[in-house]
Amino acid sequence: MQSLYSRREMLRRSATGFGTIGLCGALQSASGTTIRSTDGDIPGVVHHAPRAKRVIFLFMNGAPSHVDTFDPKPMLATHEGESPAEDIAGKNRAAGYMPSPFKFAPQGESGVVMSELLPKLSRHADNLCVIRSMHTDVPNHEPGLLLMQSGHQQPTRPSMGSWLSYGLGTENENLPAFVALCPGLPVVGPQLWSNAFLPGQHQGVEINTNHTEVDKLIDNISHPNLSPSSQLKQLQLLRALNAQHLESRQSEPSLETHIRSMELAFQMQREASEAFDLSLESKVTRESYGNSEYGRSCLLGRRLLERGVRVVQVFYVSKGQKQPWDTHKNNNDSHRKLCSDADRGTAALISDLKKRGLLDDTLVIWGGEFGRTPYAQVDKSKNTKNAGRDHHHTGFSMFMAGGGIRGGLTYGATDEFGMHAVENRVHVHDLHATILHQMGLNHKRLTFRYSGRDYRLTDVHGQVVHDLIA
Amino acid sequence: MLKTSFFFSRELFHLAWLVLGTSLPLSVQADDKTDLFEQKIRPAMVKYCYECHAGDPDAVQGGLRLDDPVAMARGGDSGPAIAAGKPDDSLLIAAIQYGDLKMPPRGKLAPRIIRDFETWISAGAVDPRDSQQKESARNEPTIDWPAARSQWAFQSPMIHAAPNTINSTWPTTPIDSFVLADLEGANLSPNSAADRATFIRRLSFDLRGLPPTPGEVNRYVSDNRPGSKRRLVDTFLASPEHAERWSRVWLDVARYAEDQAHKVGSNDSLTYPNAHHYRDWVINAIANDFPYDQFVRMQLAADLIVPDDKREHIALGFLGLGPKYYRRNSPEVLADEWEDRIDTVSRGLLGLTVACARCHDHKYDPIPTSDYYALAGVFASTEMFNRPVNETVEKQDNGQAKKPKDAYHIVRDGQPKDINLMIRGDVNKQGEVVPRRFLTVLSAEPVRFNNGSGRGDLAAAITARSNPLTARVLVNRVWEQLLGQPLVGTPSNFGALGEKPTHPELLDDLAVRFMDHGWSWKWLQREIVLSSTYAQSSHLSSAKRRIDPENRLLSRMTLRRLSIESYRDAILSVSGRLSSTVGGPSIKPDQPQEHRRTLYSQISRMNLNPMLARFDFPDPNAHSALRFETTTPLQKLFLLNSPFMAHQADALATRLTQHGGSNRSKIEWAYKLLFSREPNPTEISLAEKFVAQEDADIWTQYAQALLISNEMFMVD
Repeated sequence: MQSLYSRREMLRRSATGFGTIGLCGALQSASGTTIRSTDGDIPGVVHHAPRAKRVIFLFMNGAPSHVDTFDPKPMLATHEGESPAEDIAGKNRAAGYMPSPFKFAPQGESGVVMSELLPKLSRHADNLCVIRSMHTDVPNHEPGLLLMQSGHQQPTRPSMGSWLSYGLGTENENLPAFVALCPGLPVVGPQLWSNAFLPGQHQGVEINTNHTEVDKLIDNISHPNLSPSSQLKQLQLLRALNAQHLESRQSEPSLETHIRSMELAFQMQREASEAFDLSLESKVTRESYGNSEYGRSCLLGRRLLERGVRVVQVFYVSKGQKQPWDTHKNNNDSHRKLCSDADRGTAALISDLKKRGLLDDTLVIWGGEFGRTPYAQVDKSKNTKNAGRDHHHTGFSMFMAGGGIRGGLTYGATDEFGMHAVENRVHVHDLHATILHQMGLNHKRLTFRYSGRDYRLTDVHGQVVHDLIA
Repeated sequence: MLKTSFFFSRELFHLAWLVLGTSLPLSVQADDKTDLFEQKIRPAMVKYCYECHAGDPDAVQGGLRLDDPVAMARGGDSGPAIAAGKPDDSLLIAAIQYGDLKMPPRGKLAPRIIRDFETWISAGAVDPRDSQQKESARNEPTIDWPAARSQWAFQSPMIHAAPNTINSTWPTTPIDSFVLADLEGANLSPNSAADRATFIRRLSFDLRGLPPTPGEVNRYVSDNRPGSKRRLVDTFLASPEHAERWSRVWLDVARYAEDQAHKVGSNDSLTYPNAHHYRDWVINAIANDFPYDQFVRMQLAADLIVPDDKREHIALGFLGLGPKYYRRNSPEVLADEWEDRIDTVSRGLLGLTVACARCHDHKYDPIPTSDYYALAGVFASTEMFNRPVNETVEKQDNGQAKKPKDAYHIVRDGQPKDINLMIRGDVNKQGEVVPRRFLTVLSAEPVRFNNGSGRGDLAAAITARSNPLTARVLVNRVWEQLLGQPLVGTPSNFGALGEKPTHPELLDDLAVRFMDHGWSWKWLQREIVLSSTYAQSSHLSSAKRRIDPENRLLSRMTLRRLSIESYRDAILSVSGRLSSTVGGPSIKPDQPQEHRRTLYSQISRMNLNPMLARFDFPDPNAHSALRFETTTPLQKLFLLNSPFMAHQADALATRLTQHGGSNRSKIEWAYKLLFSREPNPTEISLAEKFVAQEDADIWTQYAQALLISNEMFMVD
């Protein structure tokens, strides 16, 4: 039977539905035969048992301040107002070291140190793996966002979610493999969930969580005026018409693919409507997440994850604000507000995943495109009262939880001022390599032949950070 | 601090300084020095260095391998890292001491280990390991040019005598003889010709991107005079719809778009409200059958070829509307932009992946890095130019229009300059200056591009008749559009990793005759669609499916799926709403009330229209070699539920009811409009039963079912 399927058909077949089987499944099902991508050999992709089956990336657009959240720096108080000894960018708006006004304390049995801004999350300290030694390449949002989401600074590469969809497919063929939850567009926009040169079904499905009604959340999920029973009759007619068309074209596998896909879409209307309907959650649950854009995104994210969506990308944005965490002014007040919201939604998500036994194989990632300066940023008035913090890329914090990651670990360190990652440095490429590793993929072998060479998420970089793995 | 990240990280650039001397002893007697290496140095290297500096020579960071003595001695990208006997002069020591460079990047080594390395180097850096390498294998380009040029794609295409075939009546054009000879070799015979109704539907979609009207079908089916097919082809080729349909083919190549993938705040400087003038230029050129070589030359260098003909300069949108990246004044980002130009020109026009040679010599094709920078110099000497649309608009001091809406986004010559080769693509690591010139493998003698930026010279070199690639690449793209699959399966990669042509002689023969016929798009299309090969039915027998599942031998017409453009246009056409206006500003194609052709869609690099994105429209951030074909439930949800489809179904229902007559006659009319045929009895009875239901909009529901059925978007 297998020999009957040409390469082209195999690709078409694996493009059915949402690519249920993914590249790995397609390769496995072809047991022993070599399948080629557009024009090159694909080596085996899954190399080890995955520790995580799904991933949710809670992305804090604009970049949260590490010295106010996960990386306390008492030296900032001792040296308050002093300019950093080194040459810094944006010198004319810098106003010397600015201590964090927030108290830090060790939490849980592990003693992971967290700021008072994150009280609810602190209760999960023993699940968190805080990386204090993240670093990225540039202190600008656009390239920083693209690097974090696609491993490359220019908008020409597939996003991480697309790579995962391409590699693993989805567990539920009635739902997409990769969903991007964004209540309003973040800076850069849809390129952050772009499939770029990967086939179209690996593009993230964008969901605007400003909306609460299912009809508005997901495009074209129900007919504008046809009742479900009328639509079912229409579908029956369509089946019969397609059967007529197929009769004289029995050998064409692509036609059956279309027929099957139409059936799936029909099923999806019900299944997706249910998945996206937050009103089916109890009031207590909804309140635990908070009725904010972010809280709703986290709750929706959980519903999608438990229904088999492979990658959920949550963007912390709101309708009018493309990057709320970009606190160039009023850093402290803004962080109070932002952290309160983020703390609630994130903690509720982790609690919920734990309760449902999903945290073990769900990888949770939290962080922004970079960090913020340990020194203050002021405007022309030089008034430090409402000081902000500027972009900072040479040292910042992120955390991971679940999915086979070591909980209760604080990894790496910045220098005593929080300026640069100095110990156990973790680059964005390393983070990507580690995420793929947890999902059972070798980042060096998940490749796609395009434009004459094999591309991968981590390009020629990236090392799995084995110390982070439980 | 912004840096290129195309292939390599900052760590790598630092490491690139670590290059080893060449005077190390390759083998020594086992002694204390050897013990030191085996007990301390080798384990430390394995633990701390091998992750990035061992194994695949192409993948190691900074080109530095530490797992092989000869490779280690040779070093990485530049200059010795170990001066045997002199730890203070060894960059390796400076790096592990965390001086300017910091290795390993994840954290400084323990002082004890650093001392071991110092001791080892002081003692002569003895390395007793066996090498797998030859001593000479440095990164020097060692391309054997005569051998390289003997590869099929670099050989000039030639006219080939049509092969003899057993069946002498089937071939009507030279194409058919080549196809038939291969079929006979595989013991296959071609399919019989498709019937006339099937043929006109196929031809109409292929040449115009639209279905034929029932009147056109009737006329053709009943035209018994000789030459009817040729007349039909000529009518279609002469129609404005033909130019519209084929323009889109070119716009995929040109990664046409009307904005950039990023925007800072509300700054609209990277939007191109006048981009559609370039699209209109393409439509016009194709309508007038502008010879392909001139078509290409104008898009690269109209300002240099016809300096006074300002209207023609709009063709330069090919370059001027290309990607401009964030922080584009920094050298790193400029270098990324040159790569876009080189990629689009080389893959799009030459079928070569020259951009692969930005950081290292091309791994598979005879394209050294110096060739890349020879071309990059042309684009470094070219600047973006926002030409004012007329004299009255606001201008900047440099003569450019202030506002995007007042500008044509084209290019002009800047200060001509040859640029330095960038070692491993790093703008901070400059190699030799490379004079601007064409690719070595395509040049009999290197000829410098000395006229201004050299764009005109480049355009001439690409379209020179002696260039073996340009005509073949275009012929292959046109073939793919008409036969459903290209002769060369990788239309933008004719290099060693590309696929070989299924019919090399046919491709060559057609390419030469294409040039002989004045590089005429229309001649080429006519030649193909008048062949018996093209006329075959798409019937797929189980035998052919077994022997030739991918139809590589062209034993039939491939059953094809319409592109999103043709599908949407066909829906509008059969529902009677399609606008026939040619050219002009862009539209939002998924708006229910939008009746212009899909070609006119707004194309955004930042936020591509979701309908287009969902239906396999290529990402306009880069040149597209070939469209994917995916089939997903999200596409079907659009068909089932989108306001656009609901609106068009309504329009078609109105058209059917207005047709009048019995239900049966309306149903028959629908089949003629949509599928260019009569319904069979089963289809009539299915439909009659369906529309007999009591429901006010039952005809709309029926119309929608027809519009989203497989037959609507499949072409036999």
